[in-house]
Amino acid sequence: MTQLSRNSLPQEGSTPAPLLPVPLSFERNWLHDLESKLDKGGPWGDWRLTRLAIQGEQSGLVTSFDELQCMKHLSGLSPLPHQLDTAHKVLFEMSGRAILADEVGLGKTIEAGLVLKEYLVRGLVSKVLILVPASLVLQWVRELNTKFGITAVAQKKSYSWGNDIVVASMDTAKRDPHKELLLSSEFDMLIIDEAHKLKNKKSTNYQFVQQLRKKYCLLLTATPVQNDLGELFNLITLLKPGQLGNQGDFAANFVVDKRQPKNEVQLRGELSKVMIRNRRGEGPVNFTKRKVRNIPLTLSPEEKALYDGVTAFVKDQYQESGGNLSSMLSLVTLQREVCSSRDAVFITLVNLIKKLPADSPKRERMMDLLQSIRTVKTNTKAEKTMELIRDMNEKVIVFTEYRATQEYLLQYFREHGLQCVSYSGGMNRGKKDWMMDLFRGRAQVMIATEAGGEGINLQFCHHMINFDLPWNPMRVEQRIGRVHRLGQQNDVVIYNLSTEGTIEEHILHLLHEKINMFEMVIGGLDVILERFEKKESLEKSLYKIMLEARSDEELRSGLDHIGESLSELSHETRKEIMP
Amino acid sequence: MTLSPLEVRKQVMDYLEATDCSLIEVSPLHVTVKLSPRADRMLTDRPYYWGFVERTGVDPETLSFTFVFDPEKYDSAAAQSPPPSRPPGGLNRPAGAALTSGGTEMEAGADNASAAASGAPPGVSTDPQDSILARYFGIVPALPRIGPGMIRREDVIYGSKRLRQIWAAAKEEGKCLQLFEDPGSRQRTTLFSAAYEPWLGVCYKVEMTCDLKREELHFIGISLATGKITEDFGSRLNALELTPRLPENIHIQPYEMNVAAGADRLESYLTSQLAALDYTWAEEARERLRLELSIVDIYYEELLKEPDEEKKQAIEEQYNRRRKETAWQYEPQIAVSAVTYGLFHLRST
Repeated sequence: MTQLSRNSLPQEGSTPAPLLPVPLSFERNWLHDLESKLDKGGPWGDWRLTRLAIQGEQSGLVTSFDELQCMKHLSGLSPLPHQLDTAHKVLFEMSGRAILADEVGLGKTIEAGLVLKEYLVRGLVSKVLILVPASLVLQWVRELNTKFGITAVAQKKSYSWGNDIVVASMDTAKRDPHKELLLSSEFDMLIIDEAHKLKNKKSTNYQFVQQLRKKYCLLLTATPVQNDLGELFNLITLLKPGQLGNQGDFAANFVVDKRQPKNEVQLRGELSKVMIRNRRGEGPVNFTKRKVRNIPLTLSPEEKALYDGVTAFVKDQYQESGGNLSSMLSLVTLQREVCSSRDAVFITLVNLIKKLPADSPKRERMMDLLQSIRTVKTNTKAEKTMELIRDMNEKVIVFTEYRATQEYLLQYFREHGLQCVSYSGGMNRGKKDWMMDLFRGRAQVMIATEAGGEGINLQFCHHMINFDLPWNPMRVEQRIGRVHRLGQQNDVVIYNLSTEGTIEEHILHLLHEKINMFEMVIGGLDVILERFEKKESLEKSLYKIMLEARSDEELRSGLDHIGESLSELSHETRKEIMP
Repeated sequence: MTLSPLEVRKQVMDYLEATDCSLIEVSPLHVTVKLSPRADRMLTDRPYYWGFVERTGVDPETLSFTFVFDPEKYDSAAAQSPPPSRPPGGLNRPAGAALTSGGTEMEAGADNASAAASGAPPGVSTDPQDSILARYFGIVPALPRIGPGMIRREDVIYGSKRLRQIWAAAKEEGKCLQLFEDPGSRQRTTLFSAAYEPWLGVCYKVEMTCDLKREELHFIGISLATGKITEDFGSRLNALELTPRLPENIHIQPYEMNVAAGADRLESYLTSQLAALDYTWAEEARERLRLELSIVDIYYEELLKEPDEEKKQAIEEQYNRRRKETAWQYEPQIAVSAVTYGLFHLRST
């Protein structure tokens, strides 16, 4: 068809464009497309498809500035009310820069996914960088793809960065050549999981994140301020420098000393502008119950002798060193290990001996201890654990603090025909995933050390055995959080092994009776600890009491004292949380 | 707004029909379809395969899918009744498949067996996330598991990737148009040729952005003969019968302006429409921006007192970066793009 175009007509009726209060831009590539097709005579589109395309646009149109759109794009995911609230707040009150600091197990990943999805749906975000610990990379990719229909890609090779939505480990990203590449790009959104690792502003991680160019930013952490206000300030500065004023203002307005805030109400007000923290006790989140079974054990005479020997040795050393706690840490470890397994004590002891000068008087005493290790033939705890596992006949995770104990248990269980796998922090990503899969499938038992605690989700298992206990309640909580989290269908049964007449018994008493932590679905543990630890960490206080007590009596009264103040604090906190 | 399964079904069926796909089995809950080459190219993400077909000239083997629109109902229906029978020797198992791809046959067989055991409808693959690749990449797109002879089930609901993809494909193939109003059969036998008026029609998408966003669609048309502008041009077109071929016995009125001039006028018209909107949102966004910037300024003011030149420079850099980021985040703006556009020759009234 010939075009009869007369370009002569003056543009009558076209008034000069009225001024908008906002910059306006027209994309005009379509005009070139149309003109060139007119020149060439096609090819032309199909009207039915055109109508389809318009209907598609219409249905996805963001018709309102302030209404969550993402839910209609998500099927098969029903977020909990507090998660939706969080997404809403991040978008409409915090403009997309926030610290998500829910307690463990409340679904921070879901919240971040919702926020990301919302921005994607709105077309405000296309280029996204997600930095997480290496062990969580695949889990993030999987969740974003399956739960949110977001095509995220795990960073494997340098060309992976070319994708729009990349999940990478912080350790990879901050190194060259990746670092340079990332610093020269712009990200519509940056998400960082386990962000409490960014508390030190001198660290390379911190400076790297500070230099990244980002529009929206989410920092995820379950433990935002354990007990240092300076660290909190750094974290917020990363997100929104100046939100708490400059360093001087902050110090003057909010800090008494490192651990003690002032003007708490005001501080909390400021914090709530950048940080969202949901707690277990709030909202209609239904968690299953926690059932606690404390299993008292009596040590065999040989084990008891070893325990007493180590205890006496540790105490004497402490007296000799003149009460210097920091040099005593390896000995404290020894004391704790003796409650776990002889293997653990053995390794630490041998290492200590190696470090001693050849003529040290301690040497002989330690060799004696080694001899008494040799006399221990049985492990009462391992036997009991075995019995428990046989009785429950279901999947179970066993936690221990020590690699040596882990190795021992692995061997012991295998000898007795149990299918079991190990899981520890030192494993590489692939192996960890492999172990998780084995546990999900064939294996009945997983033996995990503390380092393996973070970020593994084991909702399919509802038994856990604390073979030994960390002295830091937050770490105990993290252990429980692996199985007792959203998605757990059954009541979680927690078995605590405690040997009578040892320090372990006291610790368990403290954690269980005084903080009531095993059954505490309500949360608030961090508040209790923060308040308790204003002066000194709980772990350290426990060490001191243990080392300084000259008799069982003294030990008990010291621990009781701590117990009293803890239970007082927990009553207080509970009242605040649930008036 | 969201779409019900029935509405989604309509969208998908329209697409399949428009792209000449062959429907194997249809119910209100699902459709089993063998894609046409055209749809296969757009939907299956197999550029290498299609490159191979183009270079060697072999007959393309397109993929088949079962799209399920209401998974819940479909599953419960499938659980009650025996699996729907397919035409024997039909597209499910092409005659040549047994010879050329024994491997896929076996895989398909195994798949069906396991699916039958778990009571799921046939064609459902076992969890693809169990593979070794999934362990390495976190997620594996399910596509590599399909080949000729296998029909993959996919749930197509509002928000699913497939539906988004179908819309994108429809836009890609349907964005640029030249159409004529069908004059009806009587026009051919009439003595006088009918006068047709050329219209430029554009469906504009207006994106109002700050740290938040709102969108509007404006389908407007301008007569290139008279300069008259019609709002809601889309519904006018929807009421008409349109054909891509130039009908007989009609003539097109002379253009008073070319397409580019028409586009100019549409743009200034749209601009004046937009000018009448409420811009409180932009004011508020600017207010937020001002506040944020003042916070940033206060923070860096003290840091910039740093005496060490080198350190000061680094801080200054950081300061500027943060200011830029903030503006990027909040600065209000409006961007207008065209979803579809074309030339429409409509009977003069």
